[in-house]
Amino acid sequence: MIRIEPQPWAAMVAHARQAYPYECCGAMLGSVDHGRKLVRQALPLENAFKGVQATRYQLRPEDLLAADSAARRRGMDLIGIYHSHPDCDAYFSETDLKNSCPWYSFVVLSIQNGEFHHANSWLPDFEQTGAAKEELTY
Amino acid sequence: MPKVLIPTPLRQFTEKRGAVDVSGATVGEALNALTRQYPDLRKQIFTDEGKVRSFVNVYLNDEDVRYLGKDATAAGAADTISLVPSIAGGSGATALAGESALTKDEILRYSRHLILPEVGVEGQQKLKEAKVLLIGAGGLGAPLGLYLSAAGVGRLGLVDFDVVDFTNLQRQVIHSTADVGRKKIDSAADRMTAINPNVTVVKHETALTSENALDILRNYDIVVDGTDNFPTRYLVNDACVLLGKPNVYGSIFRFEGQSTVFSYPGGPCYRCLYPEPPPPGLVPSCAEGGVLGILPGTIGLIQATETVKLILGIGEPLVGRLLLYDALGMRFREVKLRWNPECPICGDHPTITKLIDYHQFCGVPNPRQAAPDRETNVNPGEIEVTEVKRKLDRGDDFLLIDVREPHEYKIASIPGARLIPLGEFSKHVGEFDPQADIVIHCKSGMRSAKACGILRSAGFASVRNMKGGILAWSAQVDPTVPKY
Repeated sequence: MIRIEPQPWAAMVAHARQAYPYECCGAMLGSVDHGRKLVRQALPLENAFKGVQATRYQLRPEDLLAADSAARRRGMDLIGIYHSHPDCDAYFSETDLKNSCPWYSFVVLSIQNGEFHHANSWLPDFEQTGAAKEELTY
Repeated sequence: MPKVLIPTPLRQFTEKRGAVDVSGATVGEALNALTRQYPDLRKQIFTDEGKVRSFVNVYLNDEDVRYLGKDATAAGAADTISLVPSIAGGSGATALAGESALTKDEILRYSRHLILPEVGVEGQQKLKEAKVLLIGAGGLGAPLGLYLSAAGVGRLGLVDFDVVDFTNLQRQVIHSTADVGRKKIDSAADRMTAINPNVTVVKHETALTSENALDILRNYDIVVDGTDNFPTRYLVNDACVLLGKPNVYGSIFRFEGQSTVFSYPGGPCYRCLYPEPPPPGLVPSCAEGGVLGILPGTIGLIQATETVKLILGIGEPLVGRLLLYDALGMRFREVKLRWNPECPICGDHPTITKLIDYHQFCGVPNPRQAAPDRETNVNPGEIEVTEVKRKLDRGDDFLLIDVREPHEYKIASIPGARLIPLGEFSKHVGEFDPQADIVIHCKSGMRSAKACGILRSAGFASVRNMKGGILAWSAQVDPTVPKY
């Protein structure tokens, strides 16, 4: 299960609303204790997809590397990735799955008509064939 | 001894250590040493065949080793090796992989794409999953429709309500002579599916309006503007900005054209470039000003190229740059365009948050509402072509002036008309008797209306504009006079 503290949660929702009608993406920093993940900081990153950003996002590995070192410096860990789905539900799409990594939690925020609607967290498997829903609280 | 940084989720395999010093003189040796020390880690990083997993990028300090010496990249005691996943995604392409998989026939058809590493099977599947809307099946829409269907764009929408006319055939190469009189949308769709039966052509037989634009555009990834008038151009721009869809823009006039991509994240929109439309009548349409038939081919194909690049996510999109093409000088030029933070629709504080009345905004009558009026009423100051014919036949004492250009006069003229091009008209005003009965004509009635205005403001008593110009003359009086 994953819990997002109020401050990072507000930052994630604000980022997703601001990026609307495009997708936003970012990193979630925090800690893991016996499988219970706690997000203490959200780090907005640039959507580097060269194309139609209303339906796609891409993270630069350099940005992710920087997020990982930022986490270490602050005594936290990089524990997840978030991105938004403008005007559609917070499912884990085929595109999401095929470009995922089983090491992290993937939080998807559904933004409908510019406003936050709902969110889900996903845990993709190794072979990128499926993703399990993770209990999410915020 | 280089150091390997262990991502949090993998520390369960490294006795919770975040960094491990390993032996080895290269990156490959270091990773092998690491996974020998912690065998459970091996599955996370390597496939069964011993290759690094597709989602793992290996970094030496802050450089991707793919751009260094790959596995053989030297790694010393001062170096840090990081494992960084590549992560992307998006709501799009929800279809299962099986649905966008290429058939055997498609692999053959697209083979010249597939062997380009920048396209490949993955790129061709992106094209197959893409949904592109073409506004207009005319000059620009023709090359766009032909090439985008050939390229395998899976879903191509067409918005048009016009009928193929003989004057279209000089440039609108998607229609053939046999199609004259057919709906452009039908003619274009037939041609596109004949080129590539794998594509779905969606017909929107309507004028794009403020009422229907959002609902039509919403279902597409990319919008390509092939319109020829300002109200629709602003409408397409605003709808694209509100929906976050890239707007691949092109326009043509006589021997010159331009193209750019608007409404792309971080880039400008059409309103950033032109906050206000030009005064009505200042910029002539292709029907009034003429256009080199090949020109829309060049510009439409630039739009098609940008569309395909956006779908594939390759190259440098034509964003923030307006490409200007001069066919006579055979030169391309580029001017920088900037996003305007004060833009009323895409700026920091937008004042336009929904679609407006674009005919009113551009100061032009809505043709759909104005048309019936023009058919039935003759305004004071206008005269029907049939009445002009009767005056000529009766031998009335009146002056018939043609304000078109000499090269138009050569194509078609009315016997007895005196040619004075509109540009020189003012110079000749003194030659006429202010009490004379004067009728002025041009091709369709626009330029002659201006000439009438010049004479009336000079105090002429009886000045009338021949309604519908020489086109109406050809239709109603003398069919041997060619239409152009």
